[in-house]
Formats: sequence, C-alpha cells, structure tokens
Amino acid sequence: MIRRWLKPVMLFALLLGVACQSAGATTEASGDHVKVRLLVPSQFASDQSTTVGFYFEVDPHWHVYWQNAGDSGAAPRFDITSKGAHSGAIKWPFPTRLNIEHLTNLGYQGNVAYLFEITPEAGASTVELEVNLEWLVCKVDCIPGFGQIKGAWPVADTTQWAEPDKALLDTFNARVPQAGANSPWQPNSLTATTDSASLSITGKGVAPEVFPLNGDWLGAQQPRVSQTNSGYTLRFVTQPGVSAPKTSGFVIAQEGRAWQFDSVPLNPVAPPTTAAGNSALWLLLLAAFAGGVILNLMPCVFPVLSIKVFSLMQPGVSRAERIREGLLYSAGVLTTFTLLGALLLILRAGGSAIGWGFQLQSAPVVLALAVLFWLMALSFSGVFEFGHRLMNLAGGSRGGAFATGVLAVFIAAPCTGPFMGAALGAAAVLPTLQALAIFIGLGAGLAAPFLLLSASPALLKRLPKPGPWMDTLRQLFAFPLYATVIWLLWVLGKLVGDIGWVLGTSLLLALAFTLWLARDAGRIRSLLAIVIALVAIVTAGTAIMQAEAPAPQTTSELWQSYDKTAIAEARAQGRAVFIDYTAAWCITCQVNKKLVLETDHTRALFTRHNVLAIRADWTRFDPEITAALEALGRNSLPVYAWYPAGAQQAQLLPQLLQERMINKLFDSE
Amino acid sequence: MSIRNPIRPLLFAAALALPSFSFAVATPGEPAPSFSEIDAAGNMHSLADYKGEWLVLEWFNKDCPYVRKHYGSGNMQALQKKYTEQDVNWLTVISSAKGKQGYLEPTEAITEASSHTLNASAAFLLDPDGNMGRDYGAKTTPHMFVINPEGKIVYAGAIDDNDSANPAVIPDSHNYLVAALDSAMAGQPVAAPATRAYGCSVKY
Repeated sequence: MIRRWLKPVMLFALLLGVACQSAGATTEASGDHVKVRLLVPSQFASDQSTTVGFYFEVDPHWHVYWQNAGDSGAAPRFDITSKGAHSGAIKWPFPTRLNIEHLTNLGYQGNVAYLFEITPEAGASTVELEVNLEWLVCKVDCIPGFGQIKGAWPVADTTQWAEPDKALLDTFNARVPQAGANSPWQPNSLTATTDSASLSITGKGVAPEVFPLNGDWLGAQQPRVSQTNSGYTLRFVTQPGVSAPKTSGFVIAQEGRAWQFDSVPLNPVAPPTTAAGNSALWLLLLAAFAGGVILNLMPCVFPVLSIKVFSLMQPGVSRAERIREGLLYSAGVLTTFTLLGALLLILRAGGSAIGWGFQLQSAPVVLALAVLFWLMALSFSGVFEFGHRLMNLAGGSRGGAFATGVLAVFIAAPCTGPFMGAALGAAAVLPTLQALAIFIGLGAGLAAPFLLLSASPALLKRLPKPGPWMDTLRQLFAFPLYATVIWLLWVLGKLVGDIGWVLGTSLLLALAFTLWLARDAGRIRSLLAIVIALVAIVTAGTAIMQAEAPAPQTTSELWQSYDKTAIAEARAQGRAVFIDYTAAWCITCQVNKKLVLETDHTRALFTRHNVLAIRADWTRFDPEITAALEALGRNSLPVYAWYPAGAQQAQLLPQLLQERMINKLFDSE
Repeated sequence: MSIRNPIRPLLFAAALALPSFSFAVATPGEPAPSFSEIDAAGNMHSLADYKGEWLVLEWFNKDCPYVRKHYGSGNMQALQKKYTEQDVNWLTVISSAKGKQGYLEPTEAITEASSHTLNASAAFLLDPDGNMGRDYGAKTTPHMFVINPEGKIVYAGAIDDNDSANPAVIPDSHNYLVAALDSAMAGQPVAAPATRAYGCSVKY
C-alpha cells in the first residue's frame, strides 16, 4: 500500500520544484510565487522567550492563508522540531477577507510573517531548529509548496537581532491578536439558527472586522452587520448541515490591532415562555369571539347569511334540521379558521427558520403591513371593491351548510380588517396553542349568531335588515385602519430614519394612484397600473432593505442605553437599577414613557435616589436585550424591571404604569 | 359585474418572489437538488435515474493540486472501484466554465478519463454552465456528496480531514466519505454528515 503512493509523491514533489536540502543550515525555502525566510536573532538570550517568525514574500496578486483559510485554500503547516529549546504554537497575524470569484478566503494579500516563540532550555548552549513547511499560494489557481528550514544558533546573555529583521517581526507581531480581555470590543452572545449565527458585541465606534476561527461551522463571508444600542450584531452564514459547536472562537480586528476570543459559548435557545401569555389569554379569546360576532355585520358577510338564514325559516323545515344545518355551518367556519391558523403557524415556523420573526423589528415587514392595511382601508372606504365575486358565489351556492361556512370565512376576509389583524399579530408572537385558540375564537364568534338563529327563529324578528347602514359601518371601520397605517409609518421611520416614512408614504401614494388608474379601465390601463404598482413595490422594498439603520437615539441625561456591564457594576455597588424595556412600535411603552417615566417627578425621584435608569430599546432586534427579557421570563413589551439597591432579584412592574407605582418603589426605603 | 383588480396579481407576484430569499444548496437530511447533465460520452444523467440507488457525486478539476493529491496517489480511483463494486453509482462532475482552469471538451474529457484511470460509473459529467455545481453548492475540487436511495443528501463536504496537498498524509487521514457511505449503507446514522470541503475553488 505504502509503495503504491510513494512513487507519485516523489514525482509530485519534483514537479512542484520543492526546495529541499538534506544537510547544513538553510534558513530559506522557496516555491512558485513564494520565498520563505526565517526571521531569527543571531543569538538567543538564555533566560527569556524570543519571538521569531517565517517571513513569506509573496508575488503581487498572490496570497497565502490564515489559520482558518475560509471557503477554499489551506493554512500553511509548520512541523517544528527543536533541540535545546521549547518552541511555541504559531501566532497568526489577523487576516483580511479575500473575495476570490464565488468564494471568500481569509488570508494575506502580500507579504506576511507567521510567528512563534523560542525559549532556550536551562543550560543549553545552542538552539537547533528543523522545520518542515507546507504552504499553498493562490491567485485564482493554487500552487502548493513544500520546504525545509534548519539551523543552529548560540545561546548567550542577550538576544541580538539584525535590525531590519527585528523591524519586520515587530510589524507583524503587532498584528497578532492579543488576549480578548484587553479588547474594547466584547462578545456578549452567540446564537444560531439553521443557516446563520449571530454574534453580538459591545463596544463603541465603527464596527470592527470579525473573523471566525472555526471555519468548519462559520462561513468566511463578511457577516451582515447591524447596529445595536450597545454595539453591533454580526450575522454569519453557517455551513449547511453542520451543527453548531458549544463554543466558537473569534478574532476581532480594528485599526491594525486585534484581539482573540477563544471560546464564545453558544446561547441555548430558550423555549418560548408560555407563562407570559397566559394571563391575557382569556381576554384575547373574548376579543376574538367579539370580533367574530362583529364580522357577521360586515357588508361582505351579512347579505349572504341573511339569505341562508331566511331559507332555513321556510315552513316545512323542522327544528332538528335547522339545528343540524347550523352546526354544519359552524363546523365549516371553525375548520376553515383552524386551517388558516395552522397555515399561519407553519409560515411562522418557516419564517423563523429563515431568520424572520420579531416582525415589527424588520423594516420590509413593517412596510408590507402598512401596504396591507392601506389597501384594506381604501377598500373599506369604497375606493375599490374586492371579494364581490366570491360573495355572489356564496349567496347563490346550493352546496351544504358546511360549504357556506367555509365560504363565509373567505368572503369575510376582505372585511375582517382589525380583527383578523389582531389574530395575525397574536399568531406571530403567541405560543402555538394560544395562537390557534385565537383563530378558533374568531371562528366561534363568526359562527355563533347563525347557530343561535337556527336554534331559535324567534330572534330573527329582532335582526336588523341589510341596508345602507352596513356600508356606513364599513366606512367607519376604515378609520382605525388609516390610524394603523400612520402608526406603522412612524415605526418605519424609527427603524430606518426619515427615509422610512418618505418611502412608505410614496409607495402608498403610488398604490392609490394605480388603483385609480385601473378603475373601470381597459386592458392596457390595467396592465400599466399593475406594472407601476410592481415597480413601486419593488423599488420601495429594495430601498427599505438597503436603508441604513439610523444611529441610536441619543439618551437623555438620566436615561442611558442598555449596557450589561454598567448594570452589573451599578448593582455590585449597591445602586438601584430601573430598566425600561421599550420599543417604538409598542404603544403602551410610549404612553407609560410620556405619562410616568419622563415626568419631572419621576426624574427627580430617580436622581435623588441615585437610580441607574436604563432604556433598553428593542425597536430593532437586539439579541442581548432578547436574552435579558428571556431571563425575566418575558417575550413581549413593555417590561419594567426594578432592582432595589442591593437586591438579588428584579421586581417586575405592571405593564400599565402609574406614578404612584414609582413612588411606592421608594416608600420601603 | 366585472372587477379589474390589480391587487390579486400583486399578491400573487409577492408570493412568487418569496422563495427566492432562501438559497438552497445540497444539505444533509434534505432532498438532493435535481440535475440533468450530459457526460463526455453524450449520455444524459438525471437525479431521477438514480432513484432507489446510492449515488456519490465528486467535483473534479484535473489541474487542481488537491485533485492531483487524490488521483496521483490512486486514492480516488480506489474508492471509486471499491464502491462501484458495491453497486454504488459514482459520478465525477466538471463544473469549470469554458476558458477556465479544468474545462474539458467531451473528447478531451474521454482522454483524461482514461489517463486518470477513472473508475466512476460514467465518463465525466460536463457542467460547463455550472448549474449543477451551483445548485449543489459545490465550492471546491474535490467536493463530495452522497445521495441515498430515497434521494436525500446523507453527506456533503470534504473527502477527508486533512487539507494538506501532500498525498503522503492520505493513509493517516480520516476519510469522511468512506465513513459516511459505510454507515449510511449499513443503516446507521452518519457521524459527520456535513464538513467543510477543502481544495481549489470550483472555476465557475
């Protein structure tokens, strides 16, 4: 077996022009496009470690690699044997990202020195080194090289250097990452999804470069950087199918210096906290049921149902038959709502798998919601109609009551507006079962009146007749929708700056225009309208995605932005800490802020008692704040955490704040 | 009443645009991306042809030092022989674009196959437009994929754990492909279903 590959190896080595000398000192090796030279002192000091290095002189446009080479390529290998001394591990100057065609490599464009330490053994008079090297040098195509470097150097009282070599060595030594503890940037969490990993780092200033040490899991591509209150979050692509290791190493580099963090632990993904939603669940269910009942009054549903109901009231239809029809209808409605809910939950699962979730923290999602509510509102106002064809279909349907129930849901869809919106919102944030319960509640509400009527026809007399009042009602419901659009545009502005609402309103204008253009128009005008609408949506969508995140709001004198270390320090010093977990899209948060937290009274109280007031802004997704909320057992806002001076545990304040609650915090002292 | 409504087509367009956000490559546990490519001998090969059978895909570039490492040493041909004898199908794919390193015309590919003593199930599969390579996310030569009879990826990544270009390291390397094939064919879970491929970049 061995003989089988030995011959090709030798042939291979010859072909590649390997520099390999068998005897005597040689401190140089070379191959195609590369010259390697040992940077060593002429003598070693006996009592200290000396950093030496391999200096790679590389032809222009060719490159050699870092310890994690990235998508292709290979790090150089140094097989070091030493006599009379200990040799340390290779120290790798931080690399640059090299984008080579479709791949990203981590390495060095130009010359580089790989360093290591030599420590003479006690009593040794010479240091002998024998190093077998292997490297890969690439432009687009790659050429491997092999070589051997060996020699002996005396050990004396002092280390003596040839000046130029020492200067070279120092240059590259400065680029070797220092201990992470000295870094102005500190990693504070690492989370993983199926195809990406997010590292959040705290620190101030321009985002640094971050290189993963573990190329088996993390891709070498430039991570997607987003600013947080305390620093940045960097989202790395991960290798498909490779599971996340428990810890990962990173090198953070900035302005010619670098710091190494060998093991950043992967945060366990906390299961969603069900407790948080429980208290409000019955309220949500009640609201969903009420919403469902109101749906019956909508102009898209009411006429259809009336026809059905009246057909049931014909003489000759027995009570049992009526109830059976009513139940079948209810079953149809409930089944459809359950399926819709399930579909949404499946979409949600798919969405979070590709990194969605936290809908209102994503600018494109907010924009899409604004468009959706805008169109719904315009439709309610009567600017355009849709769903009529479906309605006629349902009204004239001779199918069973079950089919009518199914159809009722669909024809109700254009009118559901605020109620479905609430259910959608719930589906996005609540745990699976609760979210499903909301949908069923909505369905039950929609089905209940029909069921009731089929059971007791006497009620029928009290039923309002279909008429113009329904259109008035529908038009009235348009206004909460317009208000929602205003709120969403404001959120968009908070997320991406002024450009957000300018883009948003422009898109809404363009859509209103296209609706006008397409109204009672011929084929060409309709087509033109569709084209304009598509162009507007694509343009606005791309612009929103590219829009830079605005700088975090400047904090007021009292309120500071979220800073884990500052909080820990203050608590250690026995200072009281108040944390306001807030977000621009959380209306309750804004109300509390205005009425309670930002009053002169509260400000004076906090200042007098030397409270560290922290505003944790979750408007945009921030893994650190998410983790802090999870630790408190919450996943929705607002959350007010109060750490009394010297206390171990946080007290959580009610979601609706009142000034007397703040006063009470200081009563006990 | 006729309703011309620009909204429905818009929603439809939005729904169509969504899937393009996720970029799928061959991922262990997922169905293998389909392919249809012609080999150097002019025969068409599709994923569907191999349903119910084991299939190994290997990316190749004759001028890549890492390909030479495994062919010069006879390692790759030995693996091809070992597994094709066990009724595993083995396709060696060239995704180099015309004018790039490793691109071969069909006649050249036939010559190279014989000079390399290729033991694959067919002549080189030629993918000069890179569609198959990109669908699989083939990054390097060699890059190995194993597809099970159900058409799912069971292994994607490097041939072994040693990214040296020196063939002398092969006997001491842990061969991921062998480990994956042997476990999967014995009905055992694959210990390392995905690894980082090493070698030269595929010259798309």
